[in-house]
Amino acid sequence: MTHAMVLGQRALREAWRTPEALLPTLFIPLFFLVVNVGQAGKIFPTGSTPFLEGQNYAAFQLPSSILLAASFGSAALYLVEDIEGGYFDKLRAAPVSRTAIVLGRLAAEAAKSVAITTAIVLLALPFGISIASGPIGFLLLILLTASWAVVFAGFMQLIALKTRSAAATNSGGLVFFPLLFLTPNFVPRDLLTRPMEIASTYNPVTYIMEGLRSLILEDLAWAPIGRGFAVVAVLGVLMVALNVRTIRRYD
Amino acid sequence: MARRTLAGMALAVEAEQLVKHYSGRGGAVEAVRGVDLTVEAGEVFGFLGPNGAGKSTTVRMLTTLMSITSGSARVAGIDVAADPDGARRKIGVALQEAGLDARQTGRELVILQARLFGSSRTQAAGRAQELLELVDLVEAADRRIKGYSGGMKRRLDLASALVHEPEVLFLDEPTTGLDPASRLTVWEELRRINGRGTTIFLTTQYLEEADQLCDRLAIIDDGLIVREGTPADLKTELRERRGLATEPTLDEVFLDVTGRTRERTAGEVQEVQG
Repeated sequence: MTHAMVLGQRALREAWRTPEALLPTLFIPLFFLVVNVGQAGKIFPTGSTPFLEGQNYAAFQLPSSILLAASFGSAALYLVEDIEGGYFDKLRAAPVSRTAIVLGRLAAEAAKSVAITTAIVLLALPFGISIASGPIGFLLLILLTASWAVVFAGFMQLIALKTRSAAATNSGGLVFFPLLFLTPNFVPRDLLTRPMEIASTYNPVTYIMEGLRSLILEDLAWAPIGRGFAVVAVLGVLMVALNVRTIRRYD
Repeated sequence: MARRTLAGMALAVEAEQLVKHYSGRGGAVEAVRGVDLTVEAGEVFGFLGPNGAGKSTTVRMLTTLMSITSGSARVAGIDVAADPDGARRKIGVALQEAGLDARQTGRELVILQARLFGSSRTQAAGRAQELLELVDLVEAADRRIKGYSGGMKRRLDLASALVHEPEVLFLDEPTTGLDPASRLTVWEELRRINGRGTTIFLTTQYLEEADQLCDRLAIIDDGLIVREGTPADLKTELRERRGLATEPTLDEVFLDVTGRTRERTAGEVQEVQG
């Protein structure tokens, strides 16, 4: 566990010293929030849109922005730099468990996500958004988002380990956009067309988005929250296991 | 427990019929085809060969960074395939690319490395100071590595490979790309490290370097060891076999052993097998 912590601290230092890579993860999601609300806000007025639960459309859109911020996966690009520069071999030649090598970076990614998600939520408050589930709900929202950040960073790290290429890893990250748009992104699932509803039902991101949305719009509703956490737990275990296996087999 | 030679010397590195095959884009590649090696504890051992001969692949297998297709390897008495973590505790590794993280400072990097080898925060800080003094980097220790020169990076890489006082230090082309002054500085460091009892296993393309530093060396070509001995023995053997009037250089030994002419080695079109 000490090794994972030491490597996590190093990954955080690395991010702190590269603010130019960190800032877009804050501003691009906020940009999407403003643009999406600007385009569709008037279609869904607060008073006559039941699924908004008395809040405005920005509150409905906030989970998309939060998930986008958690899906930049910059940890994988730093990993490619380590591979290309030889530092990854230095780590592999040390008596460090392969799990610690994976968890160090993922823990740092979770910590970064906590900071960025908190900042986005705070910056969203002036848009008239509130967290209906209260302080506990806010903490759960941060935890669920950070867990998703770990899952997605794990996925990106897998691409980095397999391809050892920054270009391929960057391109792999774009897979998040289809995943994001195949969710009940603009309206709840029951208002989607049938094909979209089916696609979103099979998309794991849907359940994380619905969990986050319920924390923002409703009092603590354990069913959608539980589904969200179950999805990130399963995917998280899968990603860590695949990463560890890939490093063990890395030649 | 390290095994010993017939003369009773402890063995730092032993490889028996070491083989590495892998699949490349152009088909299967036999990078190493049955290497047998023994390095005695306390030696500086040079591992030479032309580009693509299998030097780095052999080193990567010995340092647990690459799987072994067949054969076996023991470092400081530990089987690298059966107990890779045990072997990692006994070895220091500085590979071709100085394996450094340019965003950290020199001190942070060495401290991190020491912590990965089990030192506490305080022990790691003390060890880092010692090693930075050893490689003469104390003044630059708190600057980010991205501002270091090539020579400074190599010395820092050496320092980070020494945090746990390894029994065997593997260096893959430690002076490639360095200016002559930096190369001499690295040689001095290596002599000092070896003087403290660390076995050094060194690959290099600079034959003068091998001549200056190595007690014994092996030449690998096309995945097989083609000659092994002390630099003096190898030169004497060539002089006697060819009936030369003067002692040949190690360059001439290398060219003789690998069947290459100076023209081919220099990249000329003409190719003559020796």
